[in-house]
Amino acid sequence: MILLDRVTKSYGKDLKPALNRVSLHIEPNEFVIIVGTSGAGKSTLLKLLTREEKPSSGKIVVGGIDYDTLKDKHIPLLRRKIGVVFQDFKLLPQRTVFENIAFALEIAGMTSREIKNTVPKVIELVGLTGKEKSFPHELSGGERQRVAIARAVVRQPKILIADEPTGNLDPKHSWDIIRLLEKINRYGTTVLLTTHNVDIVNKLKRRVITIEHGKVTSDQAQGSYRQ
Amino acid sequence: MSRNASSAKALAQQRKSRRKWLTFLRIFKYGVSNFSRNAWLTVAATAVMTITLLIIFITFVAQNVLADTATEVGKRIPRSIYLTPETTAKQAQPIIDEIKKIKNVEDATFISSAEARADYALQNKQNNNTLDAISEATNRLPATIRISLKDVNDTNELVVLVDKNSTLEKYIDPLRKPTFIGERKKATSTIASWTAFAQKVGIVASVVFVSISSLIIFNTIRMAIFNRREEIQMMKLIGADKSFIRGPFVVEAVVYGLIAAFIATALGFVFMIASVDKLQSYGVTIAPTADAMIGYAPLVLLAMIGVGALIGIISSLLATRRYLKI
Repeated sequence: MILLDRVTKSYGKDLKPALNRVSLHIEPNEFVIIVGTSGAGKSTLLKLLTREEKPSSGKIVVGGIDYDTLKDKHIPLLRRKIGVVFQDFKLLPQRTVFENIAFALEIAGMTSREIKNTVPKVIELVGLTGKEKSFPHELSGGERQRVAIARAVVRQPKILIADEPTGNLDPKHSWDIIRLLEKINRYGTTVLLTTHNVDIVNKLKRRVITIEHGKVTSDQAQGSYRQ
Repeated sequence: MSRNASSAKALAQQRKSRRKWLTFLRIFKYGVSNFSRNAWLTVAATAVMTITLLIIFITFVAQNVLADTATEVGKRIPRSIYLTPETTAKQAQPIIDEIKKIKNVEDATFISSAEARADYALQNKQNNNTLDAISEATNRLPATIRISLKDVNDTNELVVLVDKNSTLEKYIDPLRKPTFIGERKKATSTIASWTAFAQKVGIVASVVFVSISSLIIFNTIRMAIFNRREEIQMMKLIGADKSFIRGPFVVEAVVYGLIAAFIATALGFVFMIASVDKLQSYGVTIAPTADAMIGYAPLVLLAMIGVGALIGIISSLLATRRYLKI
């Protein structure tokens, strides 16, 4: 599903590369946790996957799309196949829950009827039924993150990238979000999760990839957080 | 089989164009809803746009008024050929005919010595001393051919005519040279060059004002977009096309332009109409411009809308550009 082959990304000739010859292979339907201290290269890795950045060298293939041959005008199409969730939710502040989720379908040119059919199902999946007309500022942090997840999965992407989705949440809400991600993973979506939360990493017993100083230093099938 | 394929193709084409239409409607909807949901920003941007358009309106009017006034002043510069006091209208007619043949001449009229005197008396009717002097004076005023020119600065052909025309030689006043020759020429040409200079200043001022106000509105829109850069970033990451991200901003800016055009046009007309009498009394030639503007009011409004929308489109396109790389 995701393939990185000796990928290097450096932001300047004299600077140490943010990622240094990283090779990764992630199978379809995997649930992978990426850990590493701030500045280790996690964000760079995710930016390469969403094509916000181009690698300095190396090969990236996601869902059968080779990034080397991907034209700029097709980047939006790629991004519609990857769901993204951020630590700070990034919801449209002046739109309701329904409108925020519907937005992801509108940009793909779906008809209003299709949207009216699809969105309530996703709202139910993330457990926000009854909050359709609320604005983001009327919701708790956990609820906002659910909206963001709903927006990310409403197009049924093959891959969901969750960049520290629990970073701003208390433990209870964090676990709610993690359970939701597991549920989405069970439905057949590859999940890529980055987190600093030791408790979550250790209890999940999933594949853990550790990145330090731009290199993959460990890759365990049922891993735990090692500092 | 092939019929099926072609009808499927047609259907796909139909669906594609329907999607485009749907996307366009959504962009429009988002633009208008952004406009109505950001009350503070809407008021600020519309106000700046209104001022911009008002400046453009006033500059345009002022530029025209200045040009008209300059032309009017130019026409008032005396271009006279003085003839001996005894010259009659009949004698002067062949000369006037010759003068009228010159392309740059708009009109030429004969004023006899007696008429000139009556004129002078009329001009000085408040001044009893002068009146007394005129009635007692023995030396008479010369007869005059008064000439108005299309281009006030071009007197070359007139000068040639004065030199060469034999009839004129017979009647011309030997003591008074025509106003466009020799010493007197300097005074009149100074006035003419001042009006030309004033027109140039008008054009430069227009360009400067319009540039400055365009920069201000551009900056306002840029700030509005800067405030929403995270939103733009997010839209990009969930796969929105550039046009889908940009579209609502452009629509929003066009709505600013539209509303501002109405307000600015109304304000502009109110200012202009209110100041016509006052300015006219100072000798500023505003009436022709005002009349033309009022006559073409719908066109003026349309032009203002056009300018407002154009500034909005260009500013929003430029301002979103830097956030839309990849």
